[in-house]
Amino acid sequence: MSDEKRPASRASVAITSAGGDESALRHAGRTLLLHLHGAQRALKLYPLENATTQRALDDLQQSATAVLEAEQELEIRVMGEFLFVNSLRLRLELDNYAAFSAVLGVFREFGIGALRVDEGIARREWQLLLSLFVGQTGKVPAGGQSKFDDLRARLEAGGAQHLVLEPEQEGQDFVEDAEAAKQAAKRTYSQGVAVTKEVMTGARMGRAVSVKKMKRAVQAIVDQVLSNETSIMGLTTIRDYDEYTFTHSVNVCIFSVAIGKKLGLQKKALYDLGLAALLHDIGKARVPLEVLNKKGGLDEEEWKVMQAHPWLGVLTLFGLKGYGEVPYRSVIVAAEHHMKTDLTGYPRVIRPREQGTFSRLVSVADGYDAATTRRSYQTVPIAPDKVLKEMWENPRRGYDRVMVKALINLLGIYPVGTCVVLDTFEVGVVAGANPDPTFINRPLVRLALDPHGGVLLPPGQLVDLAEQDGTGQYKRTIVKVTTPDRYGLTVGDYFV
Amino acid sequence: MTEPRDSGPRATTAVRIPAGPPPDGPDGAPLPMHPQVVEELLRTLVKALRAIQMYLPNNPIYQRAVETTRAAFGPVWDGVTQLPLTVQESSLVWEGQTVFAGDGKGSDNVAWLLYKDGIRNLLLRPGVEDEELVPMLEVLNKARALSGDAEDDLLTLLWEQDFQFLQYQFVEVLQEGAVPVAASAGTPGLVASAPAEDLEAQRDARQQAVREEAEEEVQRSGVVKLEDFDSTLYFLDENEVAYIKERIDHEYSQDLRANAMAILYDLFETQVDQAVRGEILDILESFPPYLMAAGDLRAVAEMLREAKVLVLRARNLEGEQRDRLERFSAVLSEPAVVQEMLQALEEAAAPPPEADLAELFRELQGTALEPVLAALPRITRPGIREMLERVVTRLADSYPAEVHRILGSPESDALTGAVALAGRLKMQSAVAGLGQSLQHPDPGIRLASAQALGAIASPGAQQALEKALGDDDREVRLFAVRVLGERGYRGALKAVEAMVLGKGAETADLTERQAFFEAYARIAGAQAVAPLVEILNAGGGLFKKKASPETRACAAMALARLKAPEARAALNGAANDKEVVVRNAVARALREAAP
Repeated sequence: MSDEKRPASRASVAITSAGGDESALRHAGRTLLLHLHGAQRALKLYPLENATTQRALDDLQQSATAVLEAEQELEIRVMGEFLFVNSLRLRLELDNYAAFSAVLGVFREFGIGALRVDEGIARREWQLLLSLFVGQTGKVPAGGQSKFDDLRARLEAGGAQHLVLEPEQEGQDFVEDAEAAKQAAKRTYSQGVAVTKEVMTGARMGRAVSVKKMKRAVQAIVDQVLSNETSIMGLTTIRDYDEYTFTHSVNVCIFSVAIGKKLGLQKKALYDLGLAALLHDIGKARVPLEVLNKKGGLDEEEWKVMQAHPWLGVLTLFGLKGYGEVPYRSVIVAAEHHMKTDLTGYPRVIRPREQGTFSRLVSVADGYDAATTRRSYQTVPIAPDKVLKEMWENPRRGYDRVMVKALINLLGIYPVGTCVVLDTFEVGVVAGANPDPTFINRPLVRLALDPHGGVLLPPGQLVDLAEQDGTGQYKRTIVKVTTPDRYGLTVGDYFV
Repeated sequence: MTEPRDSGPRATTAVRIPAGPPPDGPDGAPLPMHPQVVEELLRTLVKALRAIQMYLPNNPIYQRAVETTRAAFGPVWDGVTQLPLTVQESSLVWEGQTVFAGDGKGSDNVAWLLYKDGIRNLLLRPGVEDEELVPMLEVLNKARALSGDAEDDLLTLLWEQDFQFLQYQFVEVLQEGAVPVAASAGTPGLVASAPAEDLEAQRDARQQAVREEAEEEVQRSGVVKLEDFDSTLYFLDENEVAYIKERIDHEYSQDLRANAMAILYDLFETQVDQAVRGEILDILESFPPYLMAAGDLRAVAEMLREAKVLVLRARNLEGEQRDRLERFSAVLSEPAVVQEMLQALEEAAAPPPEADLAELFRELQGTALEPVLAALPRITRPGIREMLERVVTRLADSYPAEVHRILGSPESDALTGAVALAGRLKMQSAVAGLGQSLQHPDPGIRLASAQALGAIASPGAQQALEKALGDDDREVRLFAVRVLGERGYRGALKAVEAMVLGKGAETADLTERQAFFEAYARIAGAQAVAPLVEILNAGGGLFKKKASPETRACAAMALARLKAPEARAALNGAANDKEVVVRNAVARALREAAP
């Protein structure tokens, strides 16, 4: 049996210590996390003797002691995208996501898998640990020592006996897990596309749809986003995998759920959102195929037909066979996903109302994926960073600005799939935002071309642009966003 | 491998554990506990599943089954720290030992129940028996009852519960037609600016392109700097977090159905294509039963209102579609539909909000009147009753013909209600109908009709009421004579006089007799003095007409109403009558007649 503390697919793990109260621990864990982040930030911004810093350290000491008193143990562990306190997975919520990201980031920076805090911990020990976090971030230890070993040695030298570090999991198991996660993401993606295809074809032919399959597909996407966001997000860069409408629906579902996660939505809400996103274009099932798949530009009449798809989606969803209750939330999102926040756009609104929150969110995900994709009637996709810039800066687009900000927050300056030229004359494909949010311009990149123009076959070589050489200089820096076509690269291949 | 548990006390149940050490597991090492412990747990779990299926949560058997199962986990956690089970078609296996064997592929076989939806491994952890046991049993129970084409299966149900101490692994049995995700077929790195077959040239072309791009960019703007970016973009500030919270609350507090329906109404207005409108009408027409079943009466009312709006606002509306819109309200007002609605209302454990009900009934047409009137006496909830009374008032005001029709329907369950309603509303136009219902075989309805006519009090109503003076039922007669007498209705003189002066006066009971005498005095006025004096004095004697003392007492009281000198003189004359009943009546009459 696998390690009992490792999160597995389709089931989350949370184990309280015997007799412990889960909600109390969750609350205490959350408080501890916030205080840890608060103290680290204070040390970064103010001198040690500053009252704010002192108070933040007091808070941290107090919250750690509270957990130790209640649980007789305290361990903060990072696994994948999750943080555990005494084996209880902490929920990412709106009011803790910044702290969450920062703590995850610092653990990754130093290669820490777990931090055990023993009874008798002193405030001075926290101060030492956090000062090291602040002072050593971005620095390369001398003598080829790993950052983890360097940190541990400094802690020991400073007399921090009650703080015990464990390195992050590495080695074959990790690689196998990563590969298994990638395979799971691919299965989820292809399942999503197959289900979308079945639903849309069913709608086109007037056949009943399998709601169960749809639920399973969306639930699987939610699970993937929660446990393995990078892999599933990478798959959204695949083009020409199947008809655009199907892959686009799945991509919008993935982006929407990922933004929803970023915004702190709970699992059930992520499902509601994901389902609505997956069905947002179902009206295209009633657009004639010769218009839908037409190569080149559409004439005015064809655009009119195309622009009918939101309301055609409404009619389709109201009449969807196989559904007990009409999926009203999906109806609303299908109707509103091409509307602007002021309700202009299409279709025309007569009865006064507000654009739904999920419609705003799906609209942002839809706009991003559509613009970055080569469609039959849009032969040149726009670079992801340019799309984000346009969505953010052009108010005439009518997107909800906070939702766009959440998308940018999710994707980073260089969204997944962006093709970049590095100062080393290498070319790569952005594989994910840097786990450390302070490195927003230094994503993880899969190298596709070496400095001599040699091809690194997919999946390429994964590098972290935050990596530094012995002199403290970054090893690689992006100098330009480029088009993959120029180098004969197919971005999606680097994620498959 | 299952981890053995070190120590620690646990609640236990009596499990028959064989003597001797546990058998060896698949790896040759002894198992951490006897498989019988797990068998016992699963047996208990299956029993609990049956109890959950048969009893409600407040039933002691249900509760006992849950407690027993909870306790059965104790011995397991004494032996291991987690319990992994392999799911096979008809059995569950722990460490190579079959610990549950089910029978066949029925929903009673827990192993099959898990297996058929794809579950292949289960992992139970300490804690599952606390908060998650009942939800787990309920999910299994719900899954047992699901049909093949249901919207859920065991996996979707388990997912929704988000169990923390129960993990499962499954195979995707529903995945059909999924094309594996694969890399593209093209050659990576093939550039157009060099011959495809010349690998060296290809590499050089790529290298040159990269250098050009990189150098051009470096010369132009240097490398990307963090300062070039608005770092606030990457974090939501407090206001934005609050905004998101508010938006999410808004998403989950909105009336989804109403908003979705509003979109349909908008579409009907904006899309002039008749086929599209026809489709929307099909949807709308199919909706009311679902809405009513869901108790969303407000949405039904909204539909009726919107149908009227659409008739007014939709451009180029075809006659047939206009008719369909206009029929919405008529269809929902059909007696059978309203009856159904009211029955649901009576039977509902928690009725819909009164405001919603009022909204719906406000939109109904006259045909709804009869079923509402018929149901009203059965409605016990005061608020709803009052609301329905307001509804019938509105309907009767707007559709008086419907009231007339009911009054003319002796078999209608709503007849009593309609009679009372006509009286309450003083419906002049209902007099003829009330005249009809005054002939009804049921004396209760006749009395109600008389009362209604009395309330209406128009000459026509009084004329109709006159017929009630000869009714077979005393109450009806009594009510009619009192009303007609009080109003001094001359039209009734003949009938009243016939009763007073005829033999009827002696056969009626005292109350009725008195009512008729008083009515006679009021209606006939001075003309009644002489006949009444004659009756008062008809105490007997040679050649004299004889009346009973009670009748003479009634005459005395009637004379008191007339306040005429002759009447007073007659009363004075009878003041010492030998009959005590007469004497008392006369004394009272004199007091009342005193100026």
